[in-house]
Amino acid sequence: MSMYTISPAPHIKSKDSTNRIMWFVVAAILPTAIAGVWIFGPHAAWLILASVAAAVLTEAALGRLMKKPVTVTDGSAVITGLLLACNLPAGAPVWIAVLGSFFAIAIVKCAFGGLGKNIFNPALAGRAFLMLSWPAHMTTWQNPRFWPDVVSSATPLAKNAVEIMGPGSKPSLWDMFIGNRGGCIGEVCVIAILVGAGFLLYKGYIKWYTPIVYILTVGILSRLAGGSFIFSILAGGLMFGAFFMATDMVTTPLTPGGQALFGLGCGIITFAIRKWGGYPEGVSYSILIMNAATPMIDRLTKRRVFGKKKR
Amino acid sequence: MLKSFFGGVHPPGFKTSTKNKNIRPAALPKKIILPLSQHTGSSAEPVVSPGDYVEAGAVIAKATGFISSNIHSSVSGKVLAIEPAAHPVLGKCRAIIIEPELQQKRLDSIKDCADSGFDPGKLNPADILDAVSSAGIVGMGGAAFPAHVKLSPPKNKKIDTLIINAAECEPYLTCDHRLLLERPIDIINGIKILANVLGVKKCIVGIEDNKCDSAEVIRNASILKSDIKVVPLHTKYPQGSEKQLIDAMLDKEVPSGGLPFDAGVVVHNVATALAIYEAVALNKPLYERVVTVSGDCIKDPANLLVKIGTPASELAAECGGFIKKPKKIIFGGPMMGVAQPSEDAPVIKGTSGILFLSKDIAGEYNEGVCIRCGACVRACPMYLEPTTIYYAAKKARFDIVNDLCALDCIECGACSFDCPARLELSGIIKYAKAMIKK
Amino acid sequence: MKLNNFWLEFKKGIIVENPTFALVLGLCPTLAVSNTVQNALGMGIAATFVLLGSNMIISALRRFLPPAIRIPCYIVIIAAFVTMVELFMKAYLPALDKALGIFVPLIVVNCIVLGRAEAFANKNKVIDSIADALGIGAGFTLALIIIATIRESLGAGLGVLMMIMAPGALLTLGFLIGAVNWYRIIKKKRALELGCASCAKCKE
Repeated sequence: MSMYTISPAPHIKSKDSTNRIMWFVVAAILPTAIAGVWIFGPHAAWLILASVAAAVLTEAALGRLMKKPVTVTDGSAVITGLLLACNLPAGAPVWIAVLGSFFAIAIVKCAFGGLGKNIFNPALAGRAFLMLSWPAHMTTWQNPRFWPDVVSSATPLAKNAVEIMGPGSKPSLWDMFIGNRGGCIGEVCVIAILVGAGFLLYKGYIKWYTPIVYILTVGILSRLAGGSFIFSILAGGLMFGAFFMATDMVTTPLTPGGQALFGLGCGIITFAIRKWGGYPEGVSYSILIMNAATPMIDRLTKRRVFGKKKR
Repeated sequence: MLKSFFGGVHPPGFKTSTKNKNIRPAALPKKIILPLSQHTGSSAEPVVSPGDYVEAGAVIAKATGFISSNIHSSVSGKVLAIEPAAHPVLGKCRAIIIEPELQQKRLDSIKDCADSGFDPGKLNPADILDAVSSAGIVGMGGAAFPAHVKLSPPKNKKIDTLIINAAECEPYLTCDHRLLLERPIDIINGIKILANVLGVKKCIVGIEDNKCDSAEVIRNASILKSDIKVVPLHTKYPQGSEKQLIDAMLDKEVPSGGLPFDAGVVVHNVATALAIYEAVALNKPLYERVVTVSGDCIKDPANLLVKIGTPASELAAECGGFIKKPKKIIFGGPMMGVAQPSEDAPVIKGTSGILFLSKDIAGEYNEGVCIRCGACVRACPMYLEPTTIYYAAKKARFDIVNDLCALDCIECGACSFDCPARLELSGIIKYAKAMIKK
Repeated sequence: MKLNNFWLEFKKGIIVENPTFALVLGLCPTLAVSNTVQNALGMGIAATFVLLGSNMIISALRRFLPPAIRIPCYIVIIAAFVTMVELFMKAYLPALDKALGIFVPLIVVNCIVLGRAEAFANKNKVIDSIADALGIGAGFTLALIIIATIRESLGAGLGVLMMIMAPGALLTLGFLIGAVNWYRIIKKKRALELGCASCAKCKE
């Protein structure tokens, strides 16, 4: 009827759409994934491809089945697939990646209502599922392909699990920084992680509160416990988890204060698992546990409304 | 250091197309529509009837009560009708329709320049208030709150600061900016008049730092009357919102549900200060104002001095017509303005801009789902959680909406602007507020 | 007539008031012992026996139990039957007893048994209480077996170790409850559609 569109204000919107953010996050994870492939060889690439493909196909199929708008193009399934693959040891069989992605998307994401509704980070829950179901495959680490012997080794964390977090004799801190060590595909090359994270921070898609608080908490606690600050923050999946998974928007608190608290909780739990737990690494479980605490944190960190007295 | 508030967003400015253009008078329109409700409060009551002849500046409708405002004819001519007509905010409203005559006449009492001995500091506050209220002056930044009410603080509130709002944080709008550049002396005189009425010593003009030239001009102009301070503000939306402006400039929070009075502050817009000067010194009622006509569909965007009551269609023609098909016509700025169904709506006292936007700028988006990114939380200048309120309102849980302090929302639209899922956060919250009040 | 009533009381426990899927009671043993079908069957039968015995006795004594201390009375009666089951298992089925472990004595505080005592046996005749106990017991056993079948075939059969651990039980139960609710919604919708077309009572 009317010639002109009527809609509520505001009439202009910022450029950042959900899709744009998601694809930028994909771009930010890519350096890490590529570094993983460079370090561990072509099998890692197959794992990444299989994981992403399985995630996307699962999401598309379930969208069809549940008669919901298919949201594959928003890139969130691609992120889940990529993150999951980065959390796998480079030598894992391809079917592990496929099953993990399927579990992550179908059960952790879609069963809870799809994008924006999931309680747990799908990639991490997928990894937890794989870890519980096929522990042998998930803890057989591969050495970087430049190393002379192809004998599988443990992650640096597991190596000196006895005197946890003491300065590792091998590999050197520099090796750990550039990724010359055993571990998951995505967690080894810290420099690539920092490049991607720096990009996201610069773009404003992730905020520094969670990752920085998380990393500092682990580092300081380890130092207090007699370990090395730098070793503890470079080791394991801490960098990767802090920048790419503890910052997942859906499963973390809304307010800056809540996000910092989330990081603190993750740090304490990670340290506790590393120090006293049965697993060598605690990043993924600490983030999952804090995911569950997110609604409580949200309630706890409600901000004072402008013009109201502090409650 | 630049003063600012917490939160807010950075929309693109879109101001370059009009910020260097002098204010010019618009041509006489063929028809004038003067709605009886152009202000917050009860609508005015007409004192003319169809067929009457009126001169420009003559009272045609009288205020009904304290929070109300007189309405004056903006042209000389014949009253055609008093009937419901298009209104930019209310949709439809009873209006006085006047056909202008070719040879315009205005009331003899209106002067062209102030008397030689005019000194704003020596006037009697009661006389000023009287002049302001009979001239029908309202807040010209958009809310259109009658100015004499804002100048009569309750006796128990001590007012110590007058803030002149020249932030003009809405994209596209440049009318206040141009006024500052072109009429600095008159605006300073207006500020002195306001200071006189309120009995305050401290006057601050807040200007966003993307308008440094006007800040410089006003600073130079006020050098002789040194108690007016110019404070540069961080360019951020909604810097021009009363509460945020007070927070940024004085570090004081207006209490929830309160008015600037409660923080000891009165805030007036630049255009209002000028209108008050004209009312007091020149005896000229508020019947014309500066309007920015802009948008990507307009061939020749401009800052026009417009007779109140001029329909939007005439202003579009005045600015060279359209180069693209407009998708939206907006009265006000793009962040808080009201989209119009047609071009018929007239300029009213609170209209600071008319924008004709194509689909390239005012695109239509499908609402997605919240991914809890927290953009709205960071954007909200009132420290609310828009997304939580949004979902509570969608489930019609207005009790929760109320607990989440939705009534404190200033409807600035910053949350909707920044939402990557394109949720109509502020639209829904506005609706929820109406439901709570019911 | 009487047989029909018996049958109705029996049937409702299996589907409409299934203790696991509909009432969501007794989750502790459901989650703990549904990792193999054998355990599930053992648990189901043990619980059914306790249920049958306690329902019968409580129903028979319902006029004599002082209302103020009825719950302790139920517990004593239930505990007696649980002890019988436990001793029987220890004597004749030591392997099963070992697998079920603490969950056999825990039947004493199983919400299903206590719940049926309070909600049904306390108010109904002995014969109806027997029907109820058998129905609820069968429903519980059935639910356990369904969960255990899925968990055992996926976990032990296909090697998805998680399925025979605690998370597997929660997931399976979640999906099964989801499926039951889904079935119910469809049924309700269909009933509504049919109802409006045929009866038109609301228009009167």
